[in-house]
Amino acid sequence: MKRVLAFALGLLIAGLPAGVASAQPEKKQKNEAEFAKEKPAVGDKLPDLTVYSPDGKEVKLSSLQGSHVVLTFGCLT
Amino acid sequence: MYRDYGPKNVKFFFVYKSLAHPELAGDYVQPFTLDERRAHARQAQRQLGATVPWLVDAMDNRLKHALGDRPNSDYIIDPKGVIVRKRAWSHPGEVRKDLEALVGKVDKVTREEDIKLALELPPKAPAERGVVPRIKRPRMQAIEIAPVIDPKGRPFYAKLRAEADADAIREGKGQLYLGFHLDPFHEAHWNNLTPPLKYKIELPDGVKIAKATGEAPKVKPASDCDPREFLLDVEAWTTDKPIKLTVTYSACVTDACYVIKQEYLIHMRRDRDGGGARGAGAGFWGDEFARQQIGRSKRNDGKVDRTEVIGLLVPHFEKLDTNKDGYLDLEELKVAAEWLNKHHQPGTPVPKKEK
Repeated sequence: MKRVLAFALGLLIAGLPAGVASAQPEKKQKNEAEFAKEKPAVGDKLPDLTVYSPDGKEVKLSSLQGSHVVLTFGCLT
Repeated sequence: MYRDYGPKNVKFFFVYKSLAHPELAGDYVQPFTLDERRAHARQAQRQLGATVPWLVDAMDNRLKHALGDRPNSDYIIDPKGVIVRKRAWSHPGEVRKDLEALVGKVDKVTREEDIKLALELPPKAPAERGVVPRIKRPRMQAIEIAPVIDPKGRPFYAKLRAEADADAIREGKGQLYLGFHLDPFHEAHWNNLTPPLKYKIELPDGVKIAKATGEAPKVKPASDCDPREFLLDVEAWTTDKPIKLTVTYSACVTDACYVIKQEYLIHMRRDRDGGGARGAGAGFWGDEFARQQIGRSKRNDGKVDRTEVIGLLVPHFEKLDTNKDGYLDLEELKVAAEWLNKHHQPGTPVPKKEK
């Protein structure tokens, strides 16, 4: 049980350091404002790049058209 | 949101990219091949317990580079493939508001505490950790390495992480960190019954390095999984030419052991995809972390309540609130940090609490 809790803590906290940064409203606003100016911007087409599914299939981003798509960047750590 | 908006024809994807914090939450190291990356993504699916599908960025990090190079951004794309929202730091609450505006509200909102994630532990190391003292290397940055991959050869059971301090990157004179970390996905351990890991460096003209050859310390236990680390002084590394490093080591997987010889080219320039290591040597969790969390509260009463925590802290708040007062105080957050150190940064001893 302790180990499970410890693992949960790991996951919980792993996402937090930048969350700490996000608790600083001015810094966060500045970061978001700079990001908004960068290309591709809102209104631009998503670049049609090829990435992969976890089982190894190629996925062209244009193949996702037809629905709203939410992309969230992450990784194991 | 995935539960709420999936039925409304919204597709959700986590994008696997290079690790933002190697060594954290399971001693993961940067993958060298697409197969290893895909294995990471599958492990992330299991470890996080979420059913949201993943996309895996290519080894050249094309998607990360094309979409702003942030560690935790989010994008919403409309059905015609046009970007309609973007955020440098992903915020689920804001994404929900966006979807309410773009697609419409849902009848019943799934709350984080409604979700019972089937969390899974990171793979257990196949041998002891905490045997070899770690090298401290705060304030260093990953530099570019290119493993020389032989498709027919054995995998890189041990993977090099190279870092340098700011002086070395800027002026070519400073400290270079070479850490050989066993990749948990290959389930390998060092074979300490044979000679320890050795490296040999070939330098371009003019570049000086304190020890162009080196050997890891001899280790008593027959096997272990600690990194083999070296901190070297470098001088006059101002050329664009890489150094060539050859490493020889013996590693075992299940019941077979192999002597491995592998090569790398190392450039003295910052690796934009290298991430910031969060291992025992890099320093991370501790009392400062607990104090930062307290700083999230607007009440200034030395604790955080359920509405002030974010991410997965929310559904697990009750477990963390050991005195059941509805708040996480400094002591509870310190215990959280200690547990994290103990279980996710092997090699860092956790002081026992006095009874």
